[in-house]
Amino acid sequence: MNLLDPNPGAKELLLGNEAIVRGALEAGVGFISCYPGTPSSEVPDTFFRLSPKGNYYFEYCPNEKVAMETAGAAALGGVPTLVTMKHVGVNVAADPLMTLAYIGTPGGLVVLSADDPGCHSSQNEQDNRYYARLAGLPCFEPSTAQECKDMTRNALELSALWEQPVLLRTTTRVNHMRGPVDFGRMKPAKTKGQFKKNPMRFVPIPAVARVRHKALTANLDKIRLEIEKSPWNKSWGQGSVGVIASGVSRSYLKDVLKSHPDIKIRVLELGVTHPLPQNLVKDFLADLKKVIILEELEPILENDVRVLCQKQELTIQVLGKGDILPLWDEYSTLCIEKALMDALGLEFRQEEQCSPDVSSLPSRPPNLCAGCSHRSVYLNVRRVFGDDAIYSSDIGCYTLGILPPLRTADFLLCMGSSVSGGCGMSRVVDNPVLAFIGDSTFFHSGITGLINAVYNKHDLIVVILDNRTTAMTGHQPHPGVDQSLYGRKPGHIEIEPLVRACGVDNVRKVKALNQKAVLEALKEFKNMSGVRVLIAEEPCPLYAKRILGVKRSKIAVVKESGQASLDCLNELACPAFYMEEETVRINPDSCAGCMVCVQICDEIKPGSRS
Amino acid sequence: MKPLRVFFTGVGGQGTLTATKLLAETALEQDIQVNAGEIHGMAQRGGVVHSFVLLGGYFSPKISHGEADVILGFEPMETMRALSFLKKGGLVISSEDPVPPISVTTGKETYPSLDYIKSETRKCSPDAMFIPCISLARQTGVVQTANTVLMGAFFSMGLLPFGLEVLLNSIKKRLKPALVDVNIKAARLGADFASQTL
Repeated sequence: MNLLDPNPGAKELLLGNEAIVRGALEAGVGFISCYPGTPSSEVPDTFFRLSPKGNYYFEYCPNEKVAMETAGAAALGGVPTLVTMKHVGVNVAADPLMTLAYIGTPGGLVVLSADDPGCHSSQNEQDNRYYARLAGLPCFEPSTAQECKDMTRNALELSALWEQPVLLRTTTRVNHMRGPVDFGRMKPAKTKGQFKKNPMRFVPIPAVARVRHKALTANLDKIRLEIEKSPWNKSWGQGSVGVIASGVSRSYLKDVLKSHPDIKIRVLELGVTHPLPQNLVKDFLADLKKVIILEELEPILENDVRVLCQKQELTIQVLGKGDILPLWDEYSTLCIEKALMDALGLEFRQEEQCSPDVSSLPSRPPNLCAGCSHRSVYLNVRRVFGDDAIYSSDIGCYTLGILPPLRTADFLLCMGSSVSGGCGMSRVVDNPVLAFIGDSTFFHSGITGLINAVYNKHDLIVVILDNRTTAMTGHQPHPGVDQSLYGRKPGHIEIEPLVRACGVDNVRKVKALNQKAVLEALKEFKNMSGVRVLIAEEPCPLYAKRILGVKRSKIAVVKESGQASLDCLNELACPAFYMEEETVRINPDSCAGCMVCVQICDEIKPGSRS
Repeated sequence: MKPLRVFFTGVGGQGTLTATKLLAETALEQDIQVNAGEIHGMAQRGGVVHSFVLLGGYFSPKISHGEADVILGFEPMETMRALSFLKKGGLVISSEDPVPPISVTTGKETYPSLDYIKSETRKCSPDAMFIPCISLARQTGVVQTANTVLMGAFFSMGLLPFGLEVLLNSIKKRLKPALVDVNIKAARLGADFASQTL
């Protein structure tokens, strides 16, 4: 498969996220920026992987706000631009986004917001279609891989035409689906543009902003007329009951209707949901007795339709959120089938399904990997601070410290919150407060919290768990990673001088797997006050193996299984350990050779990997 | 073809997603309408992985409870946990070699007996087939081919509109050259096991 093929004709099975890449390339995208985050990451990662051969500029940014600002300015400079992030990333980027909608983006700017209904890998399931309303953005919602490609292309083209940023709103199921995609012709990439100065448009001082707000509203009214005719919004079917469906619900609906050929229903599929094509919806409602609105999460279209009905004095029954169609989690063929049957007054017969009692089966939660240096640091934190300290956690693999026996996550808000949250907590409680933050997250938004800690003289220990990569989302580089590793010009930013430059005097840097060093630094910090920063450095073992090519020849071997080995197993919860009858053993295939157990247990010794 | 929903369940690191992609790409190549779905992220860290391949004209990227025509289980306890996704009359094809979770390996919880898992599974799928995937994979010299053993069995059972040879060609075409021979061997071992059992 060649995503960079300039010619049309190929048909490939693509991940939704890969299809977005192809769509942007077909539209001639010249500038892409991002902060990675599941479920959006494969979009930027694919651009990054292809960047040596592709004709475009790509960058990973320290956070979503920076990504939105670099992208916004590239679009002001006249270049077709894509910026990608997960749904909560849009919160970080919301400030520049709101203004970009006012001043407009002549080159074209598509903002990918990858939402996560069901919280598969997120701290919330907020519905970012609200941002389309809040900021004033046309909103595209693909439901298949083909649409991911075609809508991205179309959104970039229309964004340039309208000179307005466009929201490409996906959900986890769409980002991570694989489906056939027909390639179209690729436009030549536009990587250079010209900025046409116009301060009375692009500098939103109050006098300008007032005018631009009106301009935005007027522009959205014009866009609405085009969306009325958009091929992404289409109606079909027969009957006096209608369904208006958006996003992946459209796919579930089609499968339900396929399994019930007897159902007579009219369907309006909305692929572009904002601004609402009011005339189209009004005409669709005209001959209906009731309409069911299918949209995951918030009742946004539902409320739009209710408002429209009130304005048009339509007395149609609108069915939406309730017991069958909840405000939370994902939809499915099942809940949509149920909603249809309910609306049509038909009996819903749930297919017989097996329901063995699985409640007593051992659970299988995700776990820190064998050899993960976070385990090593958490072990010593617990040994020094136990249950007395309050542990302010952050977003990354290290959040898995929440699980016993490590139990080193007591509260968490969002990316970067560990440090600033730690400041607030330490001011109001008497317990010691420790904040854990990863290297990528530190660059994302931990630094500002650290500056606050120093400036406002908080009493806080910050532990920077520096595993040299953005591990959780798939080992993307960040500003602390030397770019020459990826065949680019060398350059990176060291964390320690940055921490010192923030005004922290008490900084210790240790090898995260070195038990003595970690333990002593923590003990020393325990007896001090003020802002203390421990940088615990060790590459993520998966990253070390795959990217850095590190081979560890030693493994840990239980020489004599006694109480000490059992304690070690219980205290570490390393997945390489196992019990065979009453004996503790270490699986040589799973052992990553970190040697943490060897350092803390006399019964475990280094051995050779055979 | 008759539409078919295939539900994959396994443990992060077992190659469940690789197998999912292999089936989906092979189907597209054979001109079968296909949609597949995966969940990435946290599951990579040793958690449960569910993925889906929907053949023959479905639009959805996922499978709901009671909808799967086939459950492909890469780990027996996860097979049992996923049984509520099986449609009435559906078939289970599963590895019988446990990958115990950490609560079990560290002696906190007990892994259910294989007999129990099999009998519970056969209540839902009387013809359920259990395959010693890891033991067979060892015969290839590369234990990581256990996922391909299961795929070999699945492709050889006549449930798909294409057979084992198509899988073998797909392996040759899609896997890294160094991995082709062992995976072909693994697929054949799975197919042989299935034919002896049926």
